[in-house]
Amino acid sequence: MNASVSTATPSPAPDVQLPIEAEIARLIVDVLHLEIEPAAIAPEEPLFREGLGLDSIDALELALAISRQYGVTLRSDDARNAEIFASLRSLSRFIAAHRPA
Amino acid sequence: MSTAERLPLTDRPPRSVLFRLPERTVDAAGFLADAARLARTLPGRAHVANLCQDRYWFAVGFAAALLRGQVSLLSGDPSAGVLGWLAQQYPDAYVLTDRDHDLPPVPLARHRIARETGPSGGMPMPAIDARQPAMIVLTSGTTGSPAGTRKCWGELVARSRAAGLRFALKEGAPAAIVGTVPPGHMYGLETTVLLPLHAAVSVWCGPAFFPADIGAALDGLPGPRILVTTPLHLRALLQTTPPMRPPERVISATAPLERALAERAEQAWGTTMLEIFGATEVGSIASRRTTADAAWTLYPGVVLSGPDDAPTASAPWAEPRRLGDLLERTADGRHFRLIGRTSDLVKLGGRRASLAGLSRILTGIAGVQDGAFLAPDDLDRTPTARLMAVAVAPSHSVASLTHALRAEMDPVFLPRPLVLLDALPRDALGKLPRAALLAALTGAAPGTALG
Repeated sequence: MNASVSTATPSPAPDVQLPIEAEIARLIVDVLHLEIEPAAIAPEEPLFREGLGLDSIDALELALAISRQYGVTLRSDDARNAEIFASLRSLSRFIAAHRPA
Repeated sequence: MSTAERLPLTDRPPRSVLFRLPERTVDAAGFLADAARLARTLPGRAHVANLCQDRYWFAVGFAAALLRGQVSLLSGDPSAGVLGWLAQQYPDAYVLTDRDHDLPPVPLARHRIARETGPSGGMPMPAIDARQPAMIVLTSGTTGSPAGTRKCWGELVARSRAAGLRFALKEGAPAAIVGTVPPGHMYGLETTVLLPLHAAVSVWCGPAFFPADIGAALDGLPGPRILVTTPLHLRALLQTTPPMRPPERVISATAPLERALAERAEQAWGTTMLEIFGATEVGSIASRRTTADAAWTLYPGVVLSGPDDAPTASAPWAEPRRLGDLLERTADGRHFRLIGRTSDLVKLGGRRASLAGLSRILTGIAGVQDGAFLAPDDLDRTPTARLMAVAVAPSHSVASLTHALRAEMDPVFLPRPLVLLDALPRDALGKLPRAALLAALTGAAPGTALG
C-alpha cells in the first residue's frame, strides 16, 4: 500500500490511526455493533474475513453509512473494490479522496 | 424397463439472450459453446466445488460439469471448515475458480477457468439424463457438521419451469433479471443461473451489490426488469434511492419480508412486490404477493404432506424433504400460512443452521469449557439481526474465540455479541433456560465482552 508514497511524506505508522481513520473506525463499530473499541482496529489489518471478520451484510450496511455520513457512493464495478475495503486505512483514504468538498 | 428421460441443457431458442455481461450478451448457442469449451478442459473427476464468483462463469462452470457428468458441490461460503470437510468427504473433488482469490488452504486440486469464449452455433443441444446427480448443496446441518442435499438434473429443470409458469415468463417479451444474491447460494442459483436455461428471462452478470450498482444495472437493461433480492438489500435500496428506472417487479426471499417494507417498495417504485418461500434443502416451493396475500401459493408440481408442525415437501424428481417451519395448510392443500419456525432452526442471510449445531461447534473449540448460541427475539423481523452466544473459555479472548469460530462456520452465524462468562446459568437439570441466558448476556458487564 505504501508503494506510491514519496519519501517527502512519511508513510503513516502501520499501527497508529490517523484522525480520519479514528473517525471511520468509530463509524464502523457503531454501525455494525461490533464489540471492540474503535481504537482497537489496526489501520492496516484486513476488515473482512480474517482480521475483523466482517461479511457482505456488513459491507452493505457500511456502504449506506458512508454514503449518509460522507456523501461517498460505493460501487463494485471494478477490481478496486477489494482494495478499498481491504483495511481501515484504504477505506479512509478512498473516502477522503471522494468526499464532496 | 423405463426409458430414462433426458432434458436439454436449455430449451431456449438458440438466439435468445440468456446472460447479459457488461461487455456482451450471451445467447443459448453461445452459452452452450462456452460450456462445451470449458467442459473439454476440466479434470476427469466426479465432484467439483464451484467457487466461481462471476455469475456468468459460475453458470458456465456448472453447465460444463453437467456435460461431463460431474457433480457440482455448492456451499454458500467456502470457510476453511466447510472446505476441509469437503476434502474429507469427496477426496476426488477439485475446486473450480474464476480468479486467483485467496482460498483457505485445503488439500484440493484447483482448476482456474481461462474465461475463453469463441464462435458458437452448429452444436446440437445436449440432453442430460433427468436422474443424473447435478449438485450437492452443503448446509450447516443440524449436528454442527455440514450436510449435503443431492439434487438431480430433473429436479432443477422442473423447478425452473415451475417458476417460469408462476411468474408468467414468456418468450415473446422476455424479462431481464438483476439479482443481488450470489450464484453459489441456492436462491441465487435458482433465480440467476438455472432460471434463464428453462424460462424466458435473461440475467444481468455485472456487479449488483451496492445500491449504485443495482440502479445502474436496472437502467441499462431492456424490457420488463425483475429485481431479485433480499429484505436486507431492499431496505438499503429504499434508504438510498439511487437514481434509477424502478424495476417492474421485485422478488424477495431468504428472510420474511415485512409487509410495511413491501408496501414502501410498491409505492416508491410503482412495482409489484413478490416473495418466494424456500430453503436450501428444498429450493423454492411457493410464492405470494406480500401486500395482498397472507397465504403462500405452492409452485405447480410441489406437494406438502405430513403434519403441519413437521411438513415435508415433495416435487418432481426430488425425494421428499423436511421443512424447518411450522405451517397451517388450507383445505385445498395448495396454499399455506407460515406460523413460525421450529425453535432450534434459524435462518440468516438465507442460510439455515441449528442453534444446537452451532453450540456444538462452539463447545468443540479448544479451550471452550461450555457455551451456547441463542437467537434474539427480532431475528425474523430485523434484516440486520445477528445471533448471540455465551461461552466459558478462560484461555480465550472474544477476538481469539471469534477467530476460531470463523474457521468453522459461515460468518453470518458469527455471534454479536459473544460474551465470556465464568459459568453458564444452567439449571438443576443442566439445561439452559432461554430467559437466564438472555439475562446473562445483557447483565454481563460491558468490559467482559472485550477481547
